[in-house]
Amino acid sequence: MRKARKKSNDNSIFPTNLEDLKRQLQTKFDHNSDLNYTIYQHQNQQLAVFYVTYLIDTNKVEASLLKPLLDSKQSWDNTKLLNQIPLSSGKKAKTMDDILKGILMGEVFIYIENEKEIVSYPLKKEEKRDLSKAETESLVLGPQVAFTESLATNMNLTRKGILSNDLVLEKIIVGEQSPKELRLAYLKSVANQDDINTMRQRLVELEVDEIEDSSVLIQLIEDSSSSIFPQFYETELPDRFSYSISKGRVGVLVENSPTGIIAPITLFSFLESTEDLYMRWNIGSFFRILRFIAMVISVLLTPMYVAVVTYHYEIIPMPLLITLGQSRANVPFPPIFEAMLLELLIELLREAGARLPTKVGQTMGIVGGVVVGTAAVQAGLTSNTLIILVTLSALASFTAPSYLMGTTIRVLRFPMIILGGVLGLIGIMFGICFLIIHLLKLTSLGRPYLSPVYPFNWQDLNKTLFRLPYNMQTKRFVSFRLRDLYRFDKDKARKKKDIDE
Amino acid sequence: MEINLNIKPNLQIRSFYLFFVIVSIQIGVGIMGVPRIIFEASGRDAWISVILAFLYIVLLLSVMFLILKPYDNADIFGIQIDIFGNWIGKLLGTIYIAYFVLNLFTVLITYIEVVTIFIFPDLNNFFMAILLVALILYSTIGGIRVIIGVCFLFFILSHWLVLLLAQPIWEMDWSHFQPMFQSSLTELLEGARQTAYTFSGIELLFLLYPFVQNKKSVKLPVYLGALWSALLVMAATVVVTGFFTPEEIKAREWSVLGLYKIQSFSFVERFDYIVVAEWMMVTLPNMILCSWAVIYGIKRLYKIPQKTTLYVLVSLLAIASIFTKEHYVIQALINFSAKLGFWIIYIYPFLLLILVYVKKRIFQNKGAVNHEK
Repeated sequence: MRKARKKSNDNSIFPTNLEDLKRQLQTKFDHNSDLNYTIYQHQNQQLAVFYVTYLIDTNKVEASLLKPLLDSKQSWDNTKLLNQIPLSSGKKAKTMDDILKGILMGEVFIYIENEKEIVSYPLKKEEKRDLSKAETESLVLGPQVAFTESLATNMNLTRKGILSNDLVLEKIIVGEQSPKELRLAYLKSVANQDDINTMRQRLVELEVDEIEDSSVLIQLIEDSSSSIFPQFYETELPDRFSYSISKGRVGVLVENSPTGIIAPITLFSFLESTEDLYMRWNIGSFFRILRFIAMVISVLLTPMYVAVVTYHYEIIPMPLLITLGQSRANVPFPPIFEAMLLELLIELLREAGARLPTKVGQTMGIVGGVVVGTAAVQAGLTSNTLIILVTLSALASFTAPSYLMGTTIRVLRFPMIILGGVLGLIGIMFGICFLIIHLLKLTSLGRPYLSPVYPFNWQDLNKTLFRLPYNMQTKRFVSFRLRDLYRFDKDKARKKKDIDE
Repeated sequence: MEINLNIKPNLQIRSFYLFFVIVSIQIGVGIMGVPRIIFEASGRDAWISVILAFLYIVLLLSVMFLILKPYDNADIFGIQIDIFGNWIGKLLGTIYIAYFVLNLFTVLITYIEVVTIFIFPDLNNFFMAILLVALILYSTIGGIRVIIGVCFLFFILSHWLVLLLAQPIWEMDWSHFQPMFQSSLTELLEGARQTAYTFSGIELLFLLYPFVQNKKSVKLPVYLGALWSALLVMAATVVVTGFFTPEEIKAREWSVLGLYKIQSFSFVERFDYIVVAEWMMVTLPNMILCSWAVIYGIKRLYKIPQKTTLYVLVSLLAIASIFTKEHYVIQALINFSAKLGFWIIYIYPFLLLILVYVKKRIFQNKGAVNHEK
């Protein structure tokens, strides 16, 4: 098949007559009645105009193409067409392949009989929704707008975020069966060349039939596909996307996908929110640290409870042990079963809430949270204490700004509960050690996943673990070895004015 | 075999990580019980023994640096072959590796024993060994960068344990140290000698040295690492001596873990369970570094792929752990390891130093040692 295509690439199908062309096209568009093929008589010339109706902005075709074409008093040839039709980016094509591709991309073709080439204009009608508020990564402060499914809109938003001619939006086409346009975005004066090259190579060398969405693309080009942790950041916020790119990262936009991909990232990127930047530095730091604690709580709290109650109740102080014992007295199950039951319940609620329409979803929350929660305790299925702990850890997992990371954290809890229930504290410790080693081994676009903690770089800590006032953040991320490290002049930022200056 | 190594830039490590490596490999299971052993030798002046031991280690480290200095980028295996020739060099290298295997094994079974005694009396040795060995396998297979990362992170994540000594320190009886300076010099030296097993591990410097990126700044982190380990052992010894009476010390195998029993907060009654579990983070870097030394050494000497050796090593460790359930067996192994280590780590480098410089003097006319082969 591929060989045949190559052959046809070499020889042009032109010049030909219009009926012939029509027949050829119709064999290609078998059982497809949407191809609009019209032949016009004009100044003793025969012109063919063809396109797929629903891909084309028909008003534009009539006003800007057909009107000047047919009203003119002269005879046409290709050069005149390109020069005199008031439409930009017209181009010539020769082969059947190019024509077919062009038709699907929303181009209008004009063929003047016996010419050696065919002329086309892109007059694509793009169906897209309007810009709307971010849903999965909602913010209180800062820009609220989210990416949409249209690549052009997304590029527009990115350019708006970075008004610099350093911003490169490299076009890459991926997908053999249904090609899709990708854009590799980076700042050429800042981003590390190795990162750009690695990303470009991974995209270009991709051999798949099609890419459904940017999250599918992530899975295709990730460093380690067996890991539970996401290795590229997927964001729907244009401000986050352009902020990351302006700090030297590489981004990818995918046609028909409302999220942008950012790489390389670290584990800590998933706990950063752009809101940290919009808040005052000390408050931003507080919330960032809070999210770290939330992550630890979310992974460890329920497993700890299971481990301690099953094996090491000596750890619990006497007053607490009494209340705990009272609340557990009615429960006939071992703690591990009790915890798994509740965790599963919470996961069910979350999953159901996400699938259902918003209004029903809220009702689900009330039904699940209040009715089942209280009833479960009264029925003696779980203890009160555990309900508090499970709710706390579920809540904590939702503080992660990235939905992907939040899911990872919630799923991690299940093996940890089993480890805690089987081996107590030793099991939990085993799990923690395993996780840390796993994180140490992970990379994102070839860069360590845990940087700047390991490989350690104290200059980057203020961008990941906490924040400092802006006059101390003169550098970009040191660990990523960017081309241009400095954001602004450090000395100027620190200069203090005298009293009456 | 090449004497000097050419390490790829992506495998090199920054010298400042050596601080964490040295502390990680020195502080393992030894520190849990060493105060009692020192105390038995040198009584209430045990802390002086620790200082003596530290001074000796500083001397030893400078000797090791002197040995490494005439070579461009060599490790112990290369140097031994350079000095003793191929056959004896390889034999000595093998003994070195065997020592690492022994050390690794003693750490593994000691930790398992501690877990058995403190947390799960009925724990199956083999099962626990499988868990630990799985972690060793998983991290060692990641290569030197992951191993150093484990040392670094686990160092940070386990050092909060020191803070838990606050309550024992508060309740220490300072009269336990009085009268001071009563032990004789031989007793003190005997006490210092008893730290041999605890402080062992600095020989890893001989293997890691070629991997260090910036050789000029290699000394400071190493000395600081040794100082930090000495301080930790010192703190443990002082607190144990001050907190327990001499009879209590002698009755406790792992006196340091005993200290954690009295620390309690309003939300956690007893910390010793948590400490024993957390101790996994202290022992793991130790075991991982040892197993890296073993597989790396075997590759250097016999060109056997590291992965093959690693799989064999971990399966042997897991199987061998079945047969070491009894305390006296473990203790005998530790004693043997301590004795062997004493000669290999603490005495042998001085001999090697003399030989290296004699050889250098002999070949001086023909150029430096490293240009010879």
